Amino acid sequence: MKVIVDMAKCQDHGQCAIAAPEVFEMNEEGRLVYDGEPGEERRLEVEEAADVCPVQAILIKD
Amino acid sequence: MTVTAPEAAPYFDITDPDFSITSAAVHEARERSWYARTNYGLAVLRYEEVSRLLKHPKLRQGSAAWPAHNGVTEGPFAKWWASWVLNKEGEEHHRLRRLMNPAFSHKLIAGLVPRFQALAAELINGFREPGRCEFVSEFAEPYAARVIAIMLGMPESEWRVIARESATIGLAMGVTIRQDLPKIEAALAALYAYADELIAERRREERDDFVSALVRAQRDSDRLSADELRDGLVLLIFGGFDTTRNQLGLAMQSFVRHPDQWRLLAERPELGGRAVEEVMRVNPTTRWVTREAHEDFTYQGLDIPAGTTVHLFTESAGTDPRVFGDGAFDITAERKPHFGFGGGAHHCLGHFVARSDMSEALPLLARRMRDPRIEDGAEWLPDSGNTGPIRLPIAFTPAT
Repeated sequence: MKVIVDMAKCQDHGQCAIAAPEVFEMNEEGRLVYDGEPGEERRLEVEEAADVCPVQAILIKD
Repeated sequence: MTVTAPEAAPYFDITDPDFSITSAAVHEARERSWYARTNYGLAVLRYEEVSRLLKHPKLRQGSAAWPAHNGVTEGPFAKWWASWVLNKEGEEHHRLRRLMNPAFSHKLIAGLVPRFQALAAELINGFREPGRCEFVSEFAEPYAARVIAIMLGMPESEWRVIARESATIGLAMGVTIRQDLPKIEAALAALYAYADELIAERRREERDDFVSALVRAQRDSDRLSADELRDGLVLLIFGGFDTTRNQLGLAMQSFVRHPDQWRLLAERPELGGRAVEEVMRVNPTTRWVTREAHEDFTYQGLDIPAGTTVHLFTESAGTDPRVFGDGAFDITAERKPHFGFGGGAHHCLGHFVARSDMSEALPLLARRMRDPRIEDGAEWLPDSGNTGPIRLPIAFTPAT
């Protein structure tokens, strides 16, 4: 699975890191870092992360 | 980088009844300094600094200690407040947040749009007089309360219970919390009884709804305790009510000041979403978002010791000329995001529903209420942390 975050939209709210902590993480400066190619077993939580993103910046490409 | 020396920072007593958070004094201070000192700690005035500090890892949500600061340390209200997902941090916060998120997913809410539209039309059709309404009691209040009833699968006819008890609990946000406590706790007990009844109903008969999903999570897993379930439901009832009611009233205030934009919205209802964002940029009900430093840190040369209360001023950030230029109210403009829903881990849980229900209501109001004017007798909450109209009589030219 491919995950793309539109960094122009991303506001570092970190809701994705709450929904899918294995894939999205807020670093020490409070900025988003993420795994762009997580395993298929993470699909449900990544979908949840995309769903809750307040600015809808997360795109899942199959 | 310009570093403002601490002695040069402006100062505001933000509990002074005469203090206005959207005043020229605050805007002038913003031009001199990115922050001000206050009797609580710091106020942050500019867009970029509000944006960064809102999500800063050294700051946590700042309202957990509010009841205790006001002498309320025990009893049902203090216990309920401590249970709020808003007042939790770390793993406990994340667990509760993950459980509550599905109730507010934008996909689920998209399916409710026809009900929001029908509700708005029903309320406008029900105005007691043609050409005049008391906007808070005839529209904003029933609209906000019935949207919550729709979300939770409660009978909409009982919206007055939601409105009355939530408004009373709202007194806890004010500095008179301690003397209002008996009333607040009675209202809380009423909403607990309501939540208990709702939970019992769903246990008897499951539905395909959010409350049933929470009831199942509580029954089948250790992710949610019975107390957390009822505390959370009462928070959802309370949390969505005051805010939406106040924000709708503030939207009317903004549009009365900008009649050309109101006419435009009537002609182009697809601008409803943009209209909500623009109103919340310049006239947000949540005038400040509170944070507290959980360890010492330095930001832009300013030392912020652990325990400092930091108020992020949302209107001041939303009208910052560094980002928005002259910032004329314009519902067609592409803007950077406002902070009316807070941000970071505690970003408003219900923002998709608030955005959706208001973006349906406003264009319909614009079409049906032409040339609105605010009449004598309007009453307002103080222009402070949370604001909005208590009474808002509006005269208008009716249209279909």
